[in-house]
Amino acid sequence: MTAATSYRSTVQAEARDGFGRLLLAEWTKFRTVPRWVLAVGASVALTVLVALLTAAGSASSGTGEGTADPARSGIFDMGHFTYQPLEGDGTVTARVTAQEGGARAKAGLMIRGSAERGTPYAALAVTPGDGVRLQTGYRDGGAGGGPGALPRWLRLTRSGTTVTGYESPDGRAWSRVGSVRLEGLPRSALAGMFVAAPDDVVVERRFGSESISGEPAAATAAFDRVSMVPARPGAAWQDRGTPGGPGGPAEPGAGGSTLSGGTFTLSGYGDIGPNAFADDLTKTILTGVLIGQTAIVAAAVLFVTSEYRRRTLRTTFAASPRRGRVLAAKALVAGLVSLAAGLAASCGAMLLARPMLRSNGVAPPPLWDAAVLRAVLGTAALLGVIAVFAVAVAVIVRRSAPAITIVLLLLLVPQIVATGLPLSAARWLERLTPAAGFAIQQTVARFDRAIGPWAGFGVLCAYTALALAAAAFLLRRRDA
Amino acid sequence: MDATIEVRGLRKRYGPTLAVDALSFTARPGQVTGFVGPNGAGKSTTLRMIMGLDRPDAGSALVGGRPYRSLRTPLCRLGAMLDASAVHPARRARDHLRWLAHAGGLPRRRVEEVIELTGLASAAGRRAGGFSLGMRQRLGIAAALLGDPPALMFDEPVNGLDPEGITWIRGLLRSLAAEGRAVLVSSHLMSELEGGADRLVVIGRGRLIADTSVADLLEAASGGRVELRTAERQEAMTVLARAGATVTAAGPGAVTVAGLPAERIIALLTGEGVAFSGVSEHRASLEEAYMELTRDAVEFRAVAGREAP
Amino acid sequence: MSALHAEWTKLRTLPSTWWLLAALAGITAAAGAAVTGAVDTSACPDPAACREDTAKLALSGVQIGQVAAVVLGVLAVGGEYATGTIAATLAAVPRRGAVLAAKAAVVAAAVAAAGSAGVLASLAAGRGILPGNGFTAANGHPPLSLLDGATARAAAGTVLYLVLVALLSLGAGTAVREPAAAITAVLALLWIVPVLTRLAGDPRWQERLERLAPMTAGLAVQATRDLDRLPIGPWAGMGVLAGYAAAALAAGWILLAARDA
Repeated sequence: MTAATSYRSTVQAEARDGFGRLLLAEWTKFRTVPRWVLAVGASVALTVLVALLTAAGSASSGTGEGTADPARSGIFDMGHFTYQPLEGDGTVTARVTAQEGGARAKAGLMIRGSAERGTPYAALAVTPGDGVRLQTGYRDGGAGGGPGALPRWLRLTRSGTTVTGYESPDGRAWSRVGSVRLEGLPRSALAGMFVAAPDDVVVERRFGSESISGEPAAATAAFDRVSMVPARPGAAWQDRGTPGGPGGPAEPGAGGSTLSGGTFTLSGYGDIGPNAFADDLTKTILTGVLIGQTAIVAAAVLFVTSEYRRRTLRTTFAASPRRGRVLAAKALVAGLVSLAAGLAASCGAMLLARPMLRSNGVAPPPLWDAAVLRAVLGTAALLGVIAVFAVAVAVIVRRSAPAITIVLLLLLVPQIVATGLPLSAARWLERLTPAAGFAIQQTVARFDRAIGPWAGFGVLCAYTALALAAAAFLLRRRDA
Repeated sequence: MDATIEVRGLRKRYGPTLAVDALSFTARPGQVTGFVGPNGAGKSTTLRMIMGLDRPDAGSALVGGRPYRSLRTPLCRLGAMLDASAVHPARRARDHLRWLAHAGGLPRRRVEEVIELTGLASAAGRRAGGFSLGMRQRLGIAAALLGDPPALMFDEPVNGLDPEGITWIRGLLRSLAAEGRAVLVSSHLMSELEGGADRLVVIGRGRLIADTSVADLLEAASGGRVELRTAERQEAMTVLARAGATVTAAGPGAVTVAGLPAERIIALLTGEGVAFSGVSEHRASLEEAYMELTRDAVEFRAVAGREAP
Repeated sequence: MSALHAEWTKLRTLPSTWWLLAALAGITAAAGAAVTGAVDTSACPDPAACREDTAKLALSGVQIGQVAAVVLGVLAVGGEYATGTIAATLAAVPRRGAVLAAKAAVVAAAVAAAGSAGVLASLAAGRGILPGNGFTAANGHPPLSLLDGATARAAAGTVLYLVLVALLSLGAGTAVREPAAAITAVLALLWIVPVLTRLAGDPRWQERLERLAPMTAGLAVQATRDLDRLPIGPWAGMGVLAGYAAAALAAGWILLAARDA
């Protein structure tokens, strides 16, 4: 036996073992197959194209139907408000003694900037269904508080731009409900009592599909022991009805206030707060990702299954035997590439759709609005997570045809079967399938929303995490 | 002991079939070790288990004394070409080596070095889908050499190659071993290893049949047989059989004699007056030795089965 | 004739074929039953005014079940490219048009058989579920029956729809060769247009899209009442889908004939 001197690798000393190198390897793999890069580009192009088509379509719906109902564009600012001016800091107190108008009808106190539509406000209201709530803004916002049993004392205190709400069963023991900061609340504000009621949602099934409409609802409530601090003796109570809506000046008697023996009775129509029936223009423009994602899913699946089909997975594992890290690198590269593509697609869609919307007389969504920004960036993140999900499913299934079919089916199933389904069933599909992730595109809390933006995105992430865990387990266990 | 591949008591079962069973051998530095067996004998399974791709049911496979999956920079310990066609057809050859270098944590310059070493320079910019078998083989070898490893494994490296390619690979294997590397080459044809391997590991049906040097194997297979050329075949056979030899006719004017040394045969024939034109030691080819070996193994198993009912 | 026999043998001996055919029938029936079970008359102005198209409702599972037909159609040729057996196929039957025709025939026959099973199971499930959800004969929703002309047309049309979708996929798979790309493209074509339709604000555009899209046009054949409300007539819609399938097959045939295998 020759005691040959063992050969020593000349590059051993330079070799580095690290996750960064693995990422670089997977990135090299991805970018050197032209059709995958092409697919990612196609997904961006498709998403933007659909955005342009929908933006063009938004014009045709606008013409011929007259001016859009102002109450339908974004916010509700209706109901009835009986007020006095409030200079600087101060407090308004009242007792709600009776209330009509259903479980969600609101009766309480409000401090707001002016009688103009859409000015900042804080409202402390008692509702039969939800108890006492402090509410602000025209999207979401506010804080919950105690029970809503009548009679109930309410108190709203302004200090600077902070408005704090208190409630009490007897007018002696007060508990704090919460406080809100109203940016832009002028020094001379208005304070008083209000009633409001969210629209009744009416679902009707005919001809094999369901339609939904909102019917303005009426609310009436009685207040007594009304006091203002600082008191302005002799100041008259003024009324703000529902501008432009039912119960406005055009319909006398539909809303208003009466005062008899220290008891105010207010009645009004409609709600104040977010318009649950508003069109979600941002979501509509970004819906092109439903199409764009197909190319991303195909590329992400092939990124994995081609390694099985071409048997390069063995080479990959020969170079980096720790398989969990390989999966992590692969998922990360697919996710980041898709994230970048999603960012290009959603930004491109929003920016290119703007001039088209404007020329059609539609105001484009404000880009720096928090909800719009969440939708735009969320769409990018959505595509990233979808790519990771596709990678995980592809590792589990190992073949491209079933993997693509399964992923697309799961992501699109609520869209496909929703037309025939009752809305309640369709909503459950949108909550429970990975398609829930598309909720991140919402900018309006609509009446038909199945799940909140972050919760929906969380559902998709949970599915992805589960699939990744299963993929990692199988990858380690199975022979390559 | 960096440059060794060591297999100890390896076993792997796929469903009802036992692909590899109680297999032990070592590929040593400075040697080309041939790993031979018929198709389906378990060679590729063994190589995959050495690389940690398949999990053995029992036993262990060590590269430089450690399991492959525990190596931190494995491409610098063991280079392997399992399947030359395992390349994405849309990827350029250089890009294939590039991602592999990244994954193995190797410096970028190694890509150009192995391209040069394997003579791929003119083809490196082309997509691997258009490669001929020979070029894919070169690409696979380039990938194996990327980490400049002290141990190398090649699965059927000359399968389907033209004579020029076979010569090139043989020369390469020899020179790699001469540098002190352990080279393990599998093949289902012994003839492919003739003149190429120093040592042979022969397996059949997943079990070790022989682990021997080429010289020992040939000597054993030749078995001291002598070839005799004579025009008087019948007479010669009678004479030699009477002297206790086993004689078989090997052609119109030739007989093979076993059990008698050449000098004794010459003396006998000369004494009896049988004319002959030549006596030569029989030299078995590697292929013959291999056939002999596998046949013996089968017979041994049959006998063993009868003895233990 | 031998090409037909060869294609049938190829299709029959792949385990995936049987899985896909079982999935086609199973998913169609299961999804149809699930949708039917979820619908009742509670949201209708009154049960008689609901005007629910019960046959269409019961058969709605085909919208999901068709994935199996798509995969089967694409893999019939794309699978051969993926595994390289296409060379052997074309060596045995050099006339490429004959190969494609034979494949189309066996795929169509297999999908028609599995589709019929799925459709019959869907109708049977609907017949059992619907009365419990308030869709009774007294409310103007007689039990589903193939003896009813419109229901029989919806059922037969649904089977034909599945066959045409499979042929469309076969053509796409032949033209594109890469199964993954073909499946993605066909699924996108089928499923995305209904999504887009809901986005288009303009009803005229919605109708136009529904007339032109293979899935919405082809499934018009499932309607059994209020036909005047359809964007496209039942058989005209089937014609649109047949046009898509013919175009895909023609593209596949031209490319198969022109290309190196």
